[in-house]
Amino acid sequence: MQRDVGSLPLAPALRARLVAAGFQTAQELLDTGPCGLSKEIGISKEEALEALQVVRQECHSDATQTAGAPGTSRKCTALELLEQEQAQGFIITFCSALDNILGGGVQLTKITEICGEPGVGKTQLCMQLAVDVQIPECFGGLAGEAVFIDTEGSFMVDRVVDVATACVQHCQLIAEAHQEEDHLKALETFSLESILSHIYYFRCRDYIELLAQVYLLPDFLSEHSKVRLVVIDGIAFPFRHDFEDLSLRTRLLNGLAQQLIIIANDHKAAVVLTNQMTTRIGQSQSTLVPALGESWGHAATVRLIFHWDNNQRLATLYKSPSQKESTIPYHITVSALL
Amino acid sequence: MAPKKLRRARLSQELCERLSRYQITTCQDFLCLSLLDLMKVTGQSYRNVQKLLCKVSLACAPKMQTAYEMKVRRAVNPSSAFLSTSLHGLDKVLHGGVPCGSLTEITSPPGCGKTQFCIMMSVLATLPVSMGGLDGAVIYIDTESAFSAERLVEIAGNRFPAYFDSDEKLFSMTRSIYLYRELTCGSVLKRIKSLEEEIISKKVKLIIIDSVASVVRKEFDTKLQGNLTERSNFLARGASLLKYLAEEFSIPVILTNQITTWLSNGLAIQADLVSPADDLCLSEGASGGGKRESGSVTAALGNTWSHSVNTRLILQYHDLPTRQILVAKSPVAPFSAFFYTVEKSGFVLQDGKDQTNLTWEGTNPALQNIKPATLHLEGKLSSELTLISEREKKPRAPAIRSFSGGNSLGCFLSDHWDLPARAGQK
Repeated sequence: MQRDVGSLPLAPALRARLVAAGFQTAQELLDTGPCGLSKEIGISKEEALEALQVVRQECHSDATQTAGAPGTSRKCTALELLEQEQAQGFIITFCSALDNILGGGVQLTKITEICGEPGVGKTQLCMQLAVDVQIPECFGGLAGEAVFIDTEGSFMVDRVVDVATACVQHCQLIAEAHQEEDHLKALETFSLESILSHIYYFRCRDYIELLAQVYLLPDFLSEHSKVRLVVIDGIAFPFRHDFEDLSLRTRLLNGLAQQLIIIANDHKAAVVLTNQMTTRIGQSQSTLVPALGESWGHAATVRLIFHWDNNQRLATLYKSPSQKESTIPYHITVSALL
Repeated sequence: MAPKKLRRARLSQELCERLSRYQITTCQDFLCLSLLDLMKVTGQSYRNVQKLLCKVSLACAPKMQTAYEMKVRRAVNPSSAFLSTSLHGLDKVLHGGVPCGSLTEITSPPGCGKTQFCIMMSVLATLPVSMGGLDGAVIYIDTESAFSAERLVEIAGNRFPAYFDSDEKLFSMTRSIYLYRELTCGSVLKRIKSLEEEIISKKVKLIIIDSVASVVRKEFDTKLQGNLTERSNFLARGASLLKYLAEEFSIPVILTNQITTWLSNGLAIQADLVSPADDLCLSEGASGGGKRESGSVTAALGNTWSHSVNTRLILQYHDLPTRQILVAKSPVAPFSAFFYTVEKSGFVLQDGKDQTNLTWEGTNPALQNIKPATLHLEGKLSSELTLISEREKKPRAPAIRSFSGGNSLGCFLSDHWDLPARAGQK
């Protein structure tokens, strides 16, 4: 109630007028009422009413925050968090070694970044995850849906069909082995058609379309509340060319990262990004490092680097708050990443 | 693909005028500002600004489709998803052939058959759908002046003798192949930008650029400061334009590339640290002291370019006259290798010696080792690659002229080493 007028989210011109007229706190505004306000400032009654509604809503949400009401506030104890984390599911990848080093699979409410050289399997893993997130709960999955934002054009429907067919067969085998009621019921709805219809695909051709799509994502996710996975395949590609102003790029990327964190938290979804590798020239040698610069490294919570060692593909867990750094080999087969 | 003006995003007239006073006329400018800047510039409250952002984003954001809709669309028109290469083993592994809607790159040492492959694909694209073609025109952008119309007719006549039984059919096929000779990077880019209208008017179903690397390497010397960034920018812009065309019209795009040497322990060269330093080419510093660095031959144009292409096919020498075609990078195919020879009718796969490794071999497509044709020359030329300075000291070995496979050292100064007309094979 004692909130300073200058900090209210009103239009700047209106704010300037209020401050010039001598109003200092939000309480004063509320006490004056719309008619008094319109006479003193010289604005119309409708505008005054609108401004007061904004102020009232702001103060109301402030009040609930200080009172500690659940829901809108983002404060909780570590015990509550522990319970939440343990109850939370993972998106399994069907590669048990990869799931192990990730601590169970791709975590919800966190941003996971997959970096790798061209052709190493980043898009394959993303397509795999888009299918795996839809596995019914009785088989150990999340029964969710997936949003796939593609900036490079490497999404191949035929490949997703292969992966989805294999996944359905895998679940059918489990159902036959266990012969339980709910398994068979779940299998009725878990078919190739339903898997494909629940992957929402957006093709963004440049960074403007990508920014626009991420601005619209919260509304989309509120409409489709079952979405548990957002994949952005190729976050580096639209930002790596045609950018003369690097500080603008850093600012846009940071804004993007923040929005994705909010989306991940609010909608309990996992966000998976793929990044490219670039060569950094050192004194005497050059190394491959993830693209988009050092500051982008802070955006992701979990970072996986895929690379080659002669003929073997390796995955390294490079950054994680809860698991230790390790490397495992993996293969790509017709049906999955193993 | 110019940025969209704010007027078309359905913002009110006075708002557009107010924004244009701050030089914000396109959606791009609008979306790049932070929320506080937007509040200042539009003079609206926080919530209204968010609503405006949603409106502008709706104007720019792509349409949603589900994967199921995409599959149904492909199933309705299966032949339009791929262009069959008429090489049966290769088609099977690639799930149909060269994919439509994405970029396919062919890389090889000189003389291995890139232009032959491109000419063969041009013939295939003009065939009717019943024979596996796309029944459309072809745009062929030639930067090396290597296209030979006689060879085109020879391949067509020998590969499909039953179809091209009359001169009339041959001429109508040649009429639908549009050849453009571009010799600089700028003109190539301009030509690509102008392609959109041509594709619609001429009903084009295949775009071939032969070759990207030659024109890029003529103009950009990566040892000079700043050239690396410009080169990457040019390549990236070209790649995104071509991807847009490929996807918009659902047609295949074939590009050819050259080879370069990749030194295994890297070099410190003058390069901007901001840009990715891709093509680590040979520089004088490496040959210091006459020491030979062991390197390998791989596809040119660097790491970032390898990210941009969706499929990479590598042609390399084996035992002459047999050569090998490798599927090095593909979203649908595992790493595989086939043997082939170049005949009058174009490429012919050796069925008996099929080596389809349907498991997980292969390595980084950006660094895949390519075999240049060094295996048959003994004596003066060793099978390892020598550095430029050393090569200039050696006289050109006379064996090269009789060697019909072309350049043996696989180095990238293709201007000097370009192939003489090969008797019987062109």
